[in-house]
Amino acid sequence: MTRYVAGRIAQALVVLWAAYTLTFAILYLLPSDPMQLQLAAAGVQEDSLTPDQVAAMKAEFGLDQSIWTQYWHHLGGALHGDFGISLTQRVPVTEMIGERIGPTLVLSASAAIVALVAGSALAYLATFVRWSLLRILFSRLPAVGASFPQFFVALFLIQFFSFQLGWFPATGSEGASSLVMPVITISVLASSVLAQVLIKSFDETLRQPYITTARAKGLSRSAVHLRHAFRNAALPAMTILGVIVGVTVTSSIVVETVFTREGVGRLAQEAVLSQDVPVVLAVVTIAASVFVLVNLIVDLIYPLLDPRISHTRGKVRAPAPAPALEGGTL
Amino acid sequence: MTTTEVAERIEVDAPVPEQEAGGRSANLTANLIQLVRKPGFLLAALYVVFVLVSAFWPRLFTSRDPYGTDPKSAMLSPSIDHLFGTDVYGRDLWSRVLYGSPLTIKATLIALGIALVAGLTLGVVSGFFAGVTDAILMRVVDVLLAIPGLLLALAIVTALGYGTIPVAVAVGVGIVPGFARTTRAEVLRVRTLPYVEAARAGGASWGRVLVRHILPNSWGPVAVLAVLDAGVAIIAIASLSFLGFGAAPPAAEWGTLIADGRNYLVTSWWLSLMPGLFVALLVLSLNHISKTLQELSR
Amino acid sequence: MRIFRPITAALSAAALLALAACGGGSSGSDEASGTPKSGGTLKVSFWPDNANFSCVDPFQVYWIEHRTIARNFADSLTDQDPETGKIVPWLAEKWEVSADGLAYTFHLKDGVTFSNGTPVDAQAVADDVAGWIATVKATNGAAYGASYIQGLSGAKVVDPKTVVLQLTKPNSSFLQATSTTNLAITDPAEFQLTPAQRCLGKGVIGSGLFVLDHYTPKVETVLTKRAGYNWGSELSTNRAEARLDKVIFNYVAEDSVRTGNLVSGAIDIAWPRNPFTPQDQKLIEKSGDTIQKRALPGVAYTLFANTTAGHPLSDPQVRKAFYKAIDVKTYSSTIFGADYPVVQSVFNSTTPYFKSESAKITFDPAAAKQILDAAGWTVGADGYRAKDGKVLSIDYPSALPIPGGELLQSQAKDVGIKLDLRPLTTAQSATYLTEGSYDLTSTYFTRADPGALQFIINPDVANSKALAQRVASPAETTQIQALFAKAIQTTDEKQAAQAYADLQDYLIDNAITFPLFERLQNAGISDKVHGFAFTSESFLKLNDVWKQ
Repeated sequence: MTRYVAGRIAQALVVLWAAYTLTFAILYLLPSDPMQLQLAAAGVQEDSLTPDQVAAMKAEFGLDQSIWTQYWHHLGGALHGDFGISLTQRVPVTEMIGERIGPTLVLSASAAIVALVAGSALAYLATFVRWSLLRILFSRLPAVGASFPQFFVALFLIQFFSFQLGWFPATGSEGASSLVMPVITISVLASSVLAQVLIKSFDETLRQPYITTARAKGLSRSAVHLRHAFRNAALPAMTILGVIVGVTVTSSIVVETVFTREGVGRLAQEAVLSQDVPVVLAVVTIAASVFVLVNLIVDLIYPLLDPRISHTRGKVRAPAPAPALEGGTL
Repeated sequence: MTTTEVAERIEVDAPVPEQEAGGRSANLTANLIQLVRKPGFLLAALYVVFVLVSAFWPRLFTSRDPYGTDPKSAMLSPSIDHLFGTDVYGRDLWSRVLYGSPLTIKATLIALGIALVAGLTLGVVSGFFAGVTDAILMRVVDVLLAIPGLLLALAIVTALGYGTIPVAVAVGVGIVPGFARTTRAEVLRVRTLPYVEAARAGGASWGRVLVRHILPNSWGPVAVLAVLDAGVAIIAIASLSFLGFGAAPPAAEWGTLIADGRNYLVTSWWLSLMPGLFVALLVLSLNHISKTLQELSR
Repeated sequence: MRIFRPITAALSAAALLALAACGGGSSGSDEASGTPKSGGTLKVSFWPDNANFSCVDPFQVYWIEHRTIARNFADSLTDQDPETGKIVPWLAEKWEVSADGLAYTFHLKDGVTFSNGTPVDAQAVADDVAGWIATVKATNGAAYGASYIQGLSGAKVVDPKTVVLQLTKPNSSFLQATSTTNLAITDPAEFQLTPAQRCLGKGVIGSGLFVLDHYTPKVETVLTKRAGYNWGSELSTNRAEARLDKVIFNYVAEDSVRTGNLVSGAIDIAWPRNPFTPQDQKLIEKSGDTIQKRALPGVAYTLFANTTAGHPLSDPQVRKAFYKAIDVKTYSSTIFGADYPVVQSVFNSTTPYFKSESAKITFDPAAAKQILDAAGWTVGADGYRAKDGKVLSIDYPSALPIPGGELLQSQAKDVGIKLDLRPLTTAQSATYLTEGSYDLTSTYFTRADPGALQFIINPDVANSKALAQRVASPAETTQIQALFAKAIQTTDEKQAAQAYADLQDYLIDNAITFPLFERLQNAGISDKVHGFAFTSESFLKLNDVWKQ
């Protein structure tokens, strides 16, 4: 068991390191000159500088060193929580992210919770309701929810609830009311993804022999659903918790842009566009850490919850990989 | 009788391609009949066919020029003359949607192509060779999954520049992990089937087993996923176009059309809504088709 | 929300008519709507913050929205009347200019302090001058204020209330420069910080009626009321403390969201960069809110060509044909509405020495086709012209969406020119000018002085030398420089007027500049906001603003 835990943790760390390195590689292979970006950020055209000035500026940002030196420097810093200085704003990246991570965490966490509740409820209804027409409706709803681009949902929520009804503010990050529409936008997609997986899992569980047995024993329909099917079906769904977190994090990019919210998602989009390498690296590292951490926790808890997984010979089998994603996520 | 002959005989005893094909085509006919009986599936399939046909022969469905501007008839609401209304320059939105289809479809196909090739290769190699190779490849997939897809796509687009193809590549890379995992799971399943083991025992080469037995039998779920991911790709491409990375004007992908309309949301809602519904309906249809196929294969 | 309110709508229609009549003068303050009230927070929405250069330091910033903010937390030596263009006292009670135009003596007002209590005295002004010159050096001339202090060599303190600013060569627009936000007087202690630190608002302290509370790039800028302020210029009705307690400026990406926020009452002022669309105008007026408009003085929204050999626009014939292919009238009415003024020169009509060239800026596709035929560009099967197997395509890259870009594209296509609108990444946008990888680019410059144009097209002083060097042939550039010199290095009004008129003719005759539209600063104002006014630079002036 200890070996299993240690192995999983080591694996998570390797994945994190690789994600960091891959992002670094992509950003450094970009066809632009980081020097030019620096100068543009300061509003200077390179042609107006003397070679001495160019050299001095390169040294200031460490751009005169080889890619390897820069890589090790960045990686070393990242391990200590120091992500360097933003190229475009010349402020420590950690400080920038610190200022913005609060609203994003609140948004993502709220959206994840709403998605969990709504997705589970929908899946439960879709398998439990007896009236077949309603059942079909519920079971097709997740597909509908996943068929609309998020920015489209966001824009029409704004149009209807802000401009027509005036219920919620269309922009900003102040107060709980500004959170409502962004959370709805994200959870429409996230709960659709979750519900699709859950419905499939329910359907499979309901076909299991022990359900039939339970029914035969005279247990009521709802009791069977709650006590047996739901519990057993929810287990595989746990493995997509990481995916749900991934969806909410990714969604924050589009959602924070449309709703003009202060947050890491918008920071990330802007940083990628202006090729602000340290900021992008930091955001990717943080996002990947969250994703890896959630998956790690799921992996570690899963064997404890699922009685079917044997602990024989001190070896524990990792759960099956998360079911392939269904619905519009990227 | 030599050992090789025995081996050959055993191989022949395993379900041979012809037999398999015969069985499959019979199955297929049965399935088709079953499918046609489902009105939802029929509607979805018809809509997808319509979108494809109208993409390649837009003139069948519209006679208007998608690019010619006519400021005098700008911002007309939907009517018989202009099914989707007209945009700010007086161009017919319906014909712009239809003429925009090939671009989006092309991008979707490129994305799917990348995902299929890379995902299948990763999945097959991983599932087939198992062991260390499998562990390493699956960690690679984990790494791709750990970076938020849209961020990865954004980084790729900034590296390659704007336009339909870079967007398609970025989206394709984003859906590789899903394909890799599904393929691997299928290969792992098929690998342990008796006839595959028999073929291996009979001395057939790995390559032969792979091409003749494993791939054809793993194909089903992967194809289902491909249909589903076509929808995912369309939405992702639209999102990237929305963020401003799509085709250069005046050509317009669906995402660009939806995005262009957003500045007139309050006054001329149809500019965003109509192309948005057109796209959502397509994604929904693909989703439904994929789901129906999946249910059939059970 | 959708209730039609005839009275306010009629009022705004009247305002529009007045605007059309006077060619875009200030609409002034509407004090008619009752007694001003104190207190409250004003919410203003701008378009997105500058992606490349986050800055609120008055001397360095060029971003129009941030100059609007600077105007309200930092005062200048002088102020400029938006109606007449006259320079009036502000921090300086009076001034004298020496006969040779090389010394400007300013006599400062008594009792003025920066918001940290430091007095605004002659020493502070002199230290600011030294700080400006040092900043220009430190940023290699990139700081925008550099264009306002041409020839300024230093300042001498005569007594605590008197300071002399010294120039090495005459500069006819220097007095006007002292009224701009870029030469606003700030606590010189800020110059101990680096230009980058100051840009984020660190140490930036003015004597204005508001205090810069904080600036979070791309998110918001907040101003709070300065207690005890009582030195507003004579151009404000309220020369004492601001009526508002707080002003929040935020940055909204979507035009529709900005307008929707205004209409639904979530914000008080929508301040777009490009004018409202006709659709948004209708919506705003229907909801009882009003739109204020004023032409921004300075260079109009103008296209500039890359005339380096090998680029299609190096051929004067192609440039002339392109001129005739663009229909600026249809362009304005389609994109900004039927009552929108049509561009008449490279300068907006509110710029001093403006001369209308509208007789020459005419849409004539037949003539365009003729010119291209004569120059050997023949129409191919796809409708585009080609010569020696090369298609006549013009590359127009831009990081921001070009307003009405697709209309331009379609107009160019009608005469057989292929106009490629190429979206750029932020990173690319930083380098494409230097690389010269463009055929056409667009820019503008807001300043109530025609000298502004030389910071675009005169390679000696331009903000982007790369752009200026490619705008025209060396011979043409020499001619342009001569005309600028004639206009600027003089104190003779007539000579300046003549030189600027010649310049405007020359630029159009030789197809060097392609004015596209007159830039009107629009502001959507909630019906709860009163006392709205524009400054001479068409920035927002908050002295008289109060909220119901």
